[in-house]
Amino acid sequence: MKILARTLALLLALAALLPFARAAQSDEAAGTHGTLHGPLQRSAPWPAETIELAASLPIQDGGRIKPLSTYASFMLLRLNGKRAVETSTGEKLSPTEWLLDVLFVPGQAESYPIFMVADIQAVEAIGISVADKKKRDRYSAAELRKGRGKLYELAREYERIEEKNRSTVQQQVFSLALNLDVYERLETSFDFARHDLDISGSTGLRKVFGADSIRFSQLVGRVPEVMALQRGLRSDTSAAPELQALNRTLQEASSVSQGTGILALVPSLGSVKAEPEWHAAEDLFMRAFEPEGVDARYVTALARLEDVARSASDMPRFSKAISDLHGTVVPMADARGEYEKIGLEISYYKANLITNSLVVFILGFLLAAGLWLAPRVKALYLGASVAVLVATGMLTAAIVLRCMIRERPPVSTLYETVLFVTATGALIALAMEWINRQRMALSAAAILGVIGLFIANGYETLDKKDTMPQLVAVLDTNFWLATHVTAITIGYSAGMLAALIASVYLVSKVLGVKRADPQYFRNLTRMTYGTLCFGLIFSVVGTILGGIWANESWGRFWGWDPKENGALLICLAQIVVLHARMGGYVRDFGIQMLAAFGGTVVAFSWFGVNLLGVGLHSYGFTSGIHTALWTYYGIQWGLMAVAGAHHIYERARDAAVQEALRSGSREGSAKPS
Amino acid sequence: MKILDSLLDAFSSLWLSCVLLVLLGLLTWLGTLYQVEHGLFAAQVKYFDSLFLIHQAGPVAIPLPGGTLVMGILFVNLVCGGIVRMRKTKATAGILVTHVGILMLIAAGFVKAYYSEDGHVTLYEGQRSNLFESYHHWEVAITEPLPSGEVRETVAAHEDFFAAGPGQSALLRTKSLPFDVEVTRFYPNCDVFPKGPMVGSDVPVVDGYFLQARPLEKDNETNVAGAYVTLIGRDGARREAILHGQSRAPLNVEYDGRRFGVALRREQWVMPFTVALENFEKEDHPRMMMPKSFSSDVVVVEEGSERKVKISMNEPLRQEGLVLYQASWGPSNARPGDRLFSTLAVVRNPADQYPLYSCIVIAIGLVMHFSMKLSKHIRHEAEKVA
Repeated sequence: MKILARTLALLLALAALLPFARAAQSDEAAGTHGTLHGPLQRSAPWPAETIELAASLPIQDGGRIKPLSTYASFMLLRLNGKRAVETSTGEKLSPTEWLLDVLFVPGQAESYPIFMVADIQAVEAIGISVADKKKRDRYSAAELRKGRGKLYELAREYERIEEKNRSTVQQQVFSLALNLDVYERLETSFDFARHDLDISGSTGLRKVFGADSIRFSQLVGRVPEVMALQRGLRSDTSAAPELQALNRTLQEASSVSQGTGILALVPSLGSVKAEPEWHAAEDLFMRAFEPEGVDARYVTALARLEDVARSASDMPRFSKAISDLHGTVVPMADARGEYEKIGLEISYYKANLITNSLVVFILGFLLAAGLWLAPRVKALYLGASVAVLVATGMLTAAIVLRCMIRERPPVSTLYETVLFVTATGALIALAMEWINRQRMALSAAAILGVIGLFIANGYETLDKKDTMPQLVAVLDTNFWLATHVTAITIGYSAGMLAALIASVYLVSKVLGVKRADPQYFRNLTRMTYGTLCFGLIFSVVGTILGGIWANESWGRFWGWDPKENGALLICLAQIVVLHARMGGYVRDFGIQMLAAFGGTVVAFSWFGVNLLGVGLHSYGFTSGIHTALWTYYGIQWGLMAVAGAHHIYERARDAAVQEALRSGSREGSAKPS
Repeated sequence: MKILDSLLDAFSSLWLSCVLLVLLGLLTWLGTLYQVEHGLFAAQVKYFDSLFLIHQAGPVAIPLPGGTLVMGILFVNLVCGGIVRMRKTKATAGILVTHVGILMLIAAGFVKAYYSEDGHVTLYEGQRSNLFESYHHWEVAITEPLPSGEVRETVAAHEDFFAAGPGQSALLRTKSLPFDVEVTRFYPNCDVFPKGPMVGSDVPVVDGYFLQARPLEKDNETNVAGAYVTLIGRDGARREAILHGQSRAPLNVEYDGRRFGVALRREQWVMPFTVALENFEKEDHPRMMMPKSFSSDVVVVEEGSERKVKISMNEPLRQEGLVLYQASWGPSNARPGDRLFSTLAVVRNPADQYPLYSCIVIAIGLVMHFSMKLSKHIRHEAEKVA
């Protein structure tokens, strides 16, 4: 009775969806793209435990094994510019839920507005109606497909233009086409699993399988028999129609499995060294034709994938299918030692340490700001200290977790330099606060934390790629990453912190803050100077270590490569401050101006040289950084210019006052005579 | 004496240090930006290996001292001011140590600049060689097959002829040869073209061919040099010829009944051992096009003994003063199963390990100095609180 009711409900639901189905079929897109095979709608939200199981499925992507949730979240970030989906019906989806929809109910997922287009012109260019859209808006796959042909045509045209010569709109059209393409490959990646291969035309195949239609996995498992059958038919000229039917089936299987390589969900059975590559339906099908055939465990894994895809319209069955798939592939990955870190990575992203740390840093900053207004309130000082300590602790924990997941030293990518610079900068500032208890270092730590983590999140959104990627050959050395890269990055950190303190000094001067408190300014200079000294050790040692590494891998210590030059510039900028101070050519104000300028030198070396796009070290190229970098240069140099003008004005005024006093005293002394 | 003293004063001043450090920074920055358009080698020649240069900032030409000059004076300044003239007290000990470390680094640079050789040996799998050749320098090689089957070589080095041009020819002469070679024009990058009836040429045409200079490539190793030479017999007979770096065979000549081959080729050095490439391996990250590792399995053959070594990224082979690195591979369009070649960079640098020692010395010096300052500062703060 229950089953009957459910079936009836399902039928009714499906009937209600028919208009959608027809709409999808009738538009131009469905014609070019082919029919979507999956069920069109899911009946209810995916159950929480099923989502969790799906999230922890391992997948090989970007050369490493990661949880499906990580894959989903970076894929969504790439398409949508954020890690969440809000459907047109107001439902909020996590990346894993979204991916499950794309894979298993593509008819529903295609209506989600998940393609972020920054400039409406890119969409107008492909001839889509944009009447109710904003300049920067999101589009669904179904909407984009109305201009699919034009989109791919334009993309092919723009592909021939070198990236740096493309206009913004051209670049956007191009990346939109790439995004739609990857989306379409995802939504069809389970077509093989949903598709029934019709073998009714071949008596031989019917005999082998005992049915009129079979699943893809069944065919893969018995390819040797099918091939034997094929050989027999080839020698028999009267069996031409039969042979044709058989070949058609093989053709069909090959065509439905094509493109499934986008999701390598089946762990290899060999050792990690001998067989590093995981599998998808596509390559297992090819492999079935090799003499040794396909191991039965691969066939099982394929059958599990099919079960999942075929049960998407029935929640309980779907949950069981996901659980069975999990139970099949996880032990396979585990046997290769490739599942150990999956749990850790899921926890890392669940804990969301970076964003939480940012929130606590902001809290610390607000408390520290309050402390400036009410310096005597002890509770504020305590509160700010605790907040900054906790935030730094969370950030440090995040860095440690990343090291554990990747078995790498803390810094191996540009993104990680941002985290590390922020953490070490905050730690240096906290150490300074601990030494002198002047409250300024505490504020500096809070500001640095906020800016640093804001940049980190911005970088991740701009870059849209896994922040724990595999490294190119030359970087694949934990020894040099741990020594040279760490030292250089600590140098960056100190340079940026010094520039920050210097900026506080310059802003205070210009705004006339604490004018009556020369000790405040002297303390700031001491902090800047101390930070620079600390940084110099790491910059110099790090730079030389870099040379030694270059000598180990390329055979030369120094080659005037842009990144090397950048490191040298940081050292020089810091050394000049020390020598100019020693010679008495600069005093408080001069040291602060030089330190502020040093911040832009660090920024040039850290990000600027990567934008030049030359040299052996340009492995961290991200185009969106350009604007951020020039904004920083502008702010820092603008502040220096204003502070310099202010300084000159003040000196002139002081000199005038002195002069007036002197002439006044002369007049005064003249009177009695 | 007084003049010497004031000269020493001038060279040891902190003011001079500051100016030089700023200049070096400026050159480094300009030289970095210059690479975007002109490549590394050109930037190095113009900004870093020079005495003077004119920097073109838009329409404005700015004369600047070159890297060699700035670094040279900085060296004198460091010795005079940073070591000789510096007060030697407990407080300056760390700085002195640091300065000594930097001198060691500079010494490493000098040794490398004047006593090192660097080039590469490129081998297909199965090939072997005991020669390595320069990326940048060319030589004129005159070979003579001897009746014993050996080949006698006479070589003129790059610096003997690279400046040759109209009005400034370079005469290469040695007593052991019955003829001289006069290089009349040398082009660091050029093509050989046959002179057709419609093609004009403002350079000499020899045997129907002429050299056409081309702008230098950004990557210096892709440039191919050529030269016009005149061979002058002892009897004064002159014979003009063209030598080109990509010629397949040397120019064959005969003097006094002896046969010679004359060629322009990349400068070569002999290694005290032979390397044979057995296998080159390039591994990508799984299911990606991103390289995970490159390595060459080589056999080092030396006076009868053989040794197998794996040379990979970050793990060079050190042998008898030479260091061999995994530098490159090809052909880049190779398909699975194709025979590959591996390029091993070869460097002879007596100062190979100096930078490591100087790094340690500098680190010790800086830590000494700054930790002394820091502990003083902490004591000072503690007293203030008390």
